[in-house]
Amino acid sequence: MTAHTPRILTDGESALVDAFETAATGSDDQRQAAVDALRTNGLPTRRVEAFHYTDLRALIKGKPRLAGRPDDAATKQAGGAFPRLVKDAAVLHFYDGHHFDRQEPMPAGVDVVADLPAYTVSTEPDQAVEWINVAFAQSGAQISIEPGAQVEQTVGIAHAHTGAENTIAAMRCNIVAGAGSSSRLIDRAMGRDGVNYLHSSMVDLTIEDGAKVDYVLSIEEGDAAQRLARLAVNLGKDAVLNLFILNVGGKLVRQEIDFQVRGEGASLNISGVNLIGGEAHIDVTSTITHHVAHTDATETFRNVATGRGRGVFQGQINVRQAAQLTDARMACNTLLLSDDCDFSAKPELEIFADDVQCAHGATVTDLEDSYMFYLMARGISETRARQMLIKAFVAEIVEELDDDDLVESLEARIDAWMETHV
Amino acid sequence: MLEIKDLHVRIAEDETEIIRGLNLSAAAGEVAAIMGPNGSGKSTLSYVLSGKEDYEVTQGSITYNGQDLLEMDVSERAAAGVFLAFQYPVEIPGVPTMTFLKEAMNAQRKQRDEVELTTPEFIKRVRAAAGDLKIDFNMLKRPVNVGFSGGEKKRAEILQMSLLEPKLCVLDETDSGLDIDALKVVSDGVNHLRDPNRAVIVITHYQRLLEHIVPDTVHVLSKGKIVKSGDKSLALELEEKGYADIIAAAA
Repeated sequence: MTAHTPRILTDGESALVDAFETAATGSDDQRQAAVDALRTNGLPTRRVEAFHYTDLRALIKGKPRLAGRPDDAATKQAGGAFPRLVKDAAVLHFYDGHHFDRQEPMPAGVDVVADLPAYTVSTEPDQAVEWINVAFAQSGAQISIEPGAQVEQTVGIAHAHTGAENTIAAMRCNIVAGAGSSSRLIDRAMGRDGVNYLHSSMVDLTIEDGAKVDYVLSIEEGDAAQRLARLAVNLGKDAVLNLFILNVGGKLVRQEIDFQVRGEGASLNISGVNLIGGEAHIDVTSTITHHVAHTDATETFRNVATGRGRGVFQGQINVRQAAQLTDARMACNTLLLSDDCDFSAKPELEIFADDVQCAHGATVTDLEDSYMFYLMARGISETRARQMLIKAFVAEIVEELDDDDLVESLEARIDAWMETHV
Repeated sequence: MLEIKDLHVRIAEDETEIIRGLNLSAAAGEVAAIMGPNGSGKSTLSYVLSGKEDYEVTQGSITYNGQDLLEMDVSERAAAGVFLAFQYPVEIPGVPTMTFLKEAMNAQRKQRDEVELTTPEFIKRVRAAAGDLKIDFNMLKRPVNVGFSGGEKKRAEILQMSLLEPKLCVLDETDSGLDIDALKVVSDGVNHLRDPNRAVIVITHYQRLLEHIVPDTVHVLSKGKIVKSGDKSLALELEEKGYADIIAAAA
């Protein structure tokens, strides 16, 4: 028999364990299990398949501590740089992982309990995003949309980091969209550039039978921030999800999106824009599992990489044996704009049903020379011409959102990114 | 306005020499026609004037209003007033025509230290110019040249030219792909821009366009050189005798 010797943790790993022990978040079994899983497995390396392109063990550095509750002045300053994406939203505010009640009344049919939802942690070696969230989450919310409610007003979940260096901010939300309801949520994470912090966010979204959810995930973390996050979605019968993801910030982003399509007739429409510049490493890892027949999913990402940016898109589609007549389509189109940037796209299809349609495609291009020449031949500078063509490449996806205000706000974030990186 | 001296140009990629010792000048107010058979270097000349990267100037000079044109990049040349009407205008998906026009007009104004156009003023100008060229304003809501017919693309080029008010216009086979009515509209558009302060270089295969845009000078281009120059009667002579005779006689 071989006795297991405990792993020797890297500095980054032991810093996380130390941060947990110092913070003394309470004797909670799940928190303890999460930290034990971290201690036992360590952070995943390239050898863990799901982290093949994002070696967390190498990337997570520093000696962070759990963020304390910031004072009011700091929270006011943190939000100021980020105007709202839509005017009419009722927003739940979080700063440094702590909930702040700003007394914004929720629309009729939406109930919010500002408590951290319970979670049972998995100890599988590829669940590092969960371990860190469960170990450190400070606050959260449970949002229920009443069955049948047609909610016009947007519900916002906004996290802003106030700028405390080397801190961990973690939060977790549960959202249940009741049967037949209709709603829109905007989930936003913001932070100042140049501040080293770790933001962990997990959202569990259940869309019950016949419900429709429009969900916008806008990742605007600071350029020195690390974000480890997951959005997990369960779709019931005839449920509809339109998800849009914008990535315009973060030094390291691991955004997992997981979809369990469990009800017949469910429909999933995922689109996103990832802007990867400077030293950023942006990883979007998507898993879609079709459990039942007659469901469809489309997934389209447009990526722009420049500087020394590294992008990753892993798109897995699982079609279970019962899931006949699944229609799943995935596209990942990338513009590579510098010699030192790169992008890895990995589609994975695992199909056990015999009557399905699944398609995937990935393209990588530079800006078209003939377009550049034409624009410049009209006096437009090289930089502006590049910006116009990049904008055209991503705007096609953004403009599918059926709301002019929202499109304008998101495009303003994109323009701001281009001003810095193009 | 434009002075080309002993110009030699080759394709950067395979070093094929296309322009071989070309001399040409065009004065303000002049309309110069450049005619020549296929492969004589007509389009290359237009690309070299506008600064396309795929070509390499190995010898000679191009002076534009006293400036060394070859030292300027594509957008600087355009902002300084050089305009190329493309033989094959490019379709650019995702870039709305109006956004493009506004960017282009303001880029040039910025170069000249003028204030940017306000949106109403911009729209007013585009509407007026589109009306003159019989371009449906709704067409301009589409992305640049996307879904335009051949004739519409050529008219859109002239629209851009009239909005940007260049000093040196280079028209590269603007007549190709045009029916007779469109040819008339496009020619009227160009004639409208004839001005004592502006030079126009019309590159064409055929004399037909020159019936509408009557040139002051005509130059015959063959194997990368101007082999004969004259007035508008030279174009008629070419039409009658073909290129072979003239080129043989000039050699």
